[in-house]
Amino acid sequence: MKIFLRRIALFLLPIVVLLYPIDLLLSYWYKFTHREPGDLEVWNAIYEGTAKCDIAIYGSSRAWVQIDPRILSDSLNASVYNFGMDGQNFLMQYMRHKEFLQYNPFPKHIVLSVDVFSLSKKEGVYQLKQFLPFVLWNSNMAEVTVHANGFKWIEPILPLVRYSGYRDVFLHAWNNAQGQQSQEAYRNNGYRGMDRHWTDDFENAKKRQAITQFKMDPNIVRKLDNLIAECAEAGARITFVYCPEHILGQQYVTNREEIIENFRSIAKKNNIQFLDYSDMALCQDTAYFYNASHLNREGSRLFSMQLAHDLRQLR
Amino acid sequence: MLFNTIQFALFLSLIFGLYWFVVNRNLQRQNILLMVASYFFYACWDWRFLFLLVFSTLLDFCTGIQMQKQADESKRRMWFWISVSINLGFLGVFKYYDFFVSSFANGLSAWGIDWDPWTLNLILPVGISFYTFHGLSYVIDIYNRRIDAERNFIDYAVFVSFFPLLVAGPIERATHLLPQIKRSRSFDLALAINGLQQILWGLFKKVVIADGCAIAANHAFKHAADGDSLTLAFGAVMFAFQIYGDFSGYSDMAIGTAKLFGIRLLKNFAFPYLSRDIAEFWRRWHISLSSWFRDYVYFPLGGSRLGKWLSIRNTFVIFLLSGFWHGANWTFVFWGLIHACFFLPLLLAGRNRQNLEVVAAHRLLPSWREWVQMICTFGMVTFAWIFFRASSMTEAWVYIERMFTSGSILRPEWFSWFLMGYIAVLMIIEYIGRNSEFGFDGVLAKMPRVMRYAAYYAIIVLVFLYAGKEHQFIYFQF
Repeated sequence: MKIFLRRIALFLLPIVVLLYPIDLLLSYWYKFTHREPGDLEVWNAIYEGTAKCDIAIYGSSRAWVQIDPRILSDSLNASVYNFGMDGQNFLMQYMRHKEFLQYNPFPKHIVLSVDVFSLSKKEGVYQLKQFLPFVLWNSNMAEVTVHANGFKWIEPILPLVRYSGYRDVFLHAWNNAQGQQSQEAYRNNGYRGMDRHWTDDFENAKKRQAITQFKMDPNIVRKLDNLIAECAEAGARITFVYCPEHILGQQYVTNREEIIENFRSIAKKNNIQFLDYSDMALCQDTAYFYNASHLNREGSRLFSMQLAHDLRQLR
Repeated sequence: MLFNTIQFALFLSLIFGLYWFVVNRNLQRQNILLMVASYFFYACWDWRFLFLLVFSTLLDFCTGIQMQKQADESKRRMWFWISVSINLGFLGVFKYYDFFVSSFANGLSAWGIDWDPWTLNLILPVGISFYTFHGLSYVIDIYNRRIDAERNFIDYAVFVSFFPLLVAGPIERATHLLPQIKRSRSFDLALAINGLQQILWGLFKKVVIADGCAIAANHAFKHAADGDSLTLAFGAVMFAFQIYGDFSGYSDMAIGTAKLFGIRLLKNFAFPYLSRDIAEFWRRWHISLSSWFRDYVYFPLGGSRLGKWLSIRNTFVIFLLSGFWHGANWTFVFWGLIHACFFLPLLLAGRNRQNLEVVAAHRLLPSWREWVQMICTFGMVTFAWIFFRASSMTEAWVYIERMFTSGSILRPEWFSWFLMGYIAVLMIIEYIGRNSEFGFDGVLAKMPRVMRYAAYYAIIVLVFLYAGKEHQFIYFQF
């Protein structure tokens, strides 16, 4: 038995010794990948402390592709960074906020883009790969990414294990190490305007999409309460923004009005400004959207100007 | 808890440590540990079905003792049929009830009679086909006075539920496994190392080959209606390697795991794709099931001793039963029927036992004739797999029709040279190691230590790169 254990230990020794250095190198090379949706760039900015700003925009993809920080910055004469996370609810957004605070000062103003699924529970973890370089021994990130359809419990603990099966990640990391990948940033201060047009995707989506309703998850609501309390403590302002949605897509969420009303009452209770653009004029026109819930670059420009104007009025 | 997960690796390490370091001086304690670990392992799948497993174990244990006690033949027979009926009853209810009533309703509707059957829509308890067959073989062997009834429940429970074989076999026999469970076991270094090598090889087959081929096969079967000839033919070949990698990989991991505990399980695969005819294929594919049907169905029916017509009948019976064992679907029955038809000419010509040794057993390479035979056998087996994989007979016919008529010879979009390379490596290693217990074993024996370790690390790297998402084993559904 001793011989067996000694042989096993000797066999495993190189693996154990190399796990962490390989993890370190792989994570280092992979995190510089500039590919859609560009979340790695935002994470890098957070951890390098280069995302510090006066105004932080939080939200999902509706924030990411719709609120242009340059327009806000020019209009409000303040530094602005867009932390919008593709396909993520407030649970993830709040985790990003906590990570942000570890490496950057508290922003003076948080613009929180809220939507129908902000406070509802999601099955699985979307875009899991963005967390790969950062989740090791990161309990804050692990708390929301360890899931039946996310990381396994051991993956944020044991180096390298979480990369199992991600052959494309190895390829990107290798290409980055060789300097063979594009160095051009995908996002600009976290924002990316989409040069896309309304296509028949909506008709296809209509066939797939069932009429649905979203329920608020008490755990996520608690996180929102935490954020509000933290802002009050730090003396920072917080503003809720409900971004435009095309009129054709609005009918697919039966309790949409109820959700908006919930945000309005949370805002009222906490003395927070709530800017509701859910029915603004451009919601009628497909020229400004590339799908029912996302504005294209032109729509985003118009909306950002309107938002900048309204935020200036509120000052 | 799948074999190819970290959870299982941790579970196995824990049980291994307790088994050899904590309870190693007491056989009974070792067996209690194995029983508890096995029940925990099973409960991880679905704890509700643990009661069914314990009930089935208790039933066979008690009826076995009753049969042994009774001097009166009619009472022995009564206890025997109680056990067989309840075992088959469970299998029938969970696995076949819905199929039978739906098929009956379909048959009636063909006669113009509409009947809406009452179906149960039950979840199939994982491993039920395997542990039921364990229990049945035990009861039949006692009834036929081949073995004595086991008086120690713990030992019997380990025989039925030993965790490496619990959910997908190999289907063990009491005559083979029970004596090992009752015998004191001391740590065998060579056996344990061999077990680890077999686990590693099983992981390669499952994670790299089977899961890699699954992408291609799933794509081909999903788009069968608009697929071209080459894509569909390739898809069928990919499924042939998927199911082989999946099931033989699982068996290797199960057998290797058992070796770590000083227990040798029955061999389940012996390089089936090197077979030169269908009869040889069936001596090499899922050996524990085919030998079960041979010993408990084919021989009691008279085997091939009662003349040509009864031999043919018996052959069809075991192939159809074998197909039906896999699942409640006409596709499995038809798969069995096709194999019976492939087997029949060999039986009639008396050539079904001509290839008893592995191909080129004492030569370096097969002859041209053997090459042709192997390719033809593989082609026949692959053709039959289409029915096995298809979700319905209609889907299978569409697949075959498109495969032979669409004509186009485009390279499939999922084609991967890497995957082809891995399959080639698998087949070369299996060929080189064809005289050994498993292919990798035979190859390793010929390697210097440095090369051997390089091979281990290479497999670990490949498994790491190709693992990730957990893929269920195909045979768990049976």
